[in-house]
Amino acid sequence: MIRIAAVGDLHYGVGSLDILRPSLQHLPARADILLLAGDLTRCGGPEEVAILANELRGLTIPAVAVLGNHDYHAGREQEVRRVLEDADVRVLEGQAITLDIDGVRIGIAGTKGFGGGFRGAHGSDFGEPEMKAFVGHTKMLSDRLERALGGLEADLRIALLHYSPIEATLEGERLEIYPFLGSYLLAAAVDNAGADLVFHGHAHHGEEKGRTPAGVPVRNVAQPVIRHAYNIYTLDAGRQVQPAAAGGIS
Amino acid sequence: MSAPRDEYLPEAIREKLIHDPRVAEQDLRVRVQEHRVMLGGNVASPQLKQRITEVAKELLPDYEVVNETTVVSAAEPDGEEPVS
Repeated sequence: MIRIAAVGDLHYGVGSLDILRPSLQHLPARADILLLAGDLTRCGGPEEVAILANELRGLTIPAVAVLGNHDYHAGREQEVRRVLEDADVRVLEGQAITLDIDGVRIGIAGTKGFGGGFRGAHGSDFGEPEMKAFVGHTKMLSDRLERALGGLEADLRIALLHYSPIEATLEGERLEIYPFLGSYLLAAAVDNAGADLVFHGHAHHGEEKGRTPAGVPVRNVAQPVIRHAYNIYTLDAGRQVQPAAAGGIS
Repeated sequence: MSAPRDEYLPEAIREKLIHDPRVAEQDLRVRVQEHRVMLGGNVASPQLKQRITEVAKELLPDYEVVNETTVVSAAEPDGEEPVS
């Protein structure tokens, strides 16, 4: 049994000091790994993420993160990443890592992801350069996610995102902003490569639970959704990894 | 750029709150009735809620600011969820 603590959208900034720290004290006894689903800062400042990094420094379980849109706002995402990595938080963007937890290989592939919308109503990379750039960014990150997930050799495979791969975990958000909250291309990447569990954040008014079209469980761990410092999810290490989707257009 | 007409005032306030680094919240809901501004949504801390009130009052000194935002708990979870 692997215990995964996960949270996103912590939005650290001035005044955030010690928000998470009291709850982190007991975390190593309750979970094997901590996953952070992006938007760790308010405005993308390295000084903002340093507050979180100081709270996480010395954590005795592995911490793995992706960045979110807020973490890009200042154009200093590389510095944000370095601050986290200096505190031993692994930051993934189109990459994957494998951790050995008591002999169980946990593979985690991560990307911020991006928007576009969902099946039947997704934007196309057609027309103005700005529209091509918008949808092209989502396609590129989804392709990288699929490759990263597909390349994992692990007993359990997890996709860690900021943007949502499905609509179900957005319920409660206004329909008009769905294209800015996620993309089905992320779900397609997960379903093509196969995974046991997907985490995302970004949708503060959404729902916690959903599944990809092929049935992979999805959890929206945005802090305003879970209303805790983190939630803990357990996975049976002996379960079958969801197989990659068969056939279809490639 | 001209000052926003009344019809567009809530959106103008929402944009200002998103871009003010003291707030930077994208999920605030803004309503304006007469000379009263009502703010809703979730915020991470009582300090942030207070700052939102202060920034809104700076933006709209002639309006009453009613901050109805909810401070979200960051307590430890009680249990865990087996996922299958």
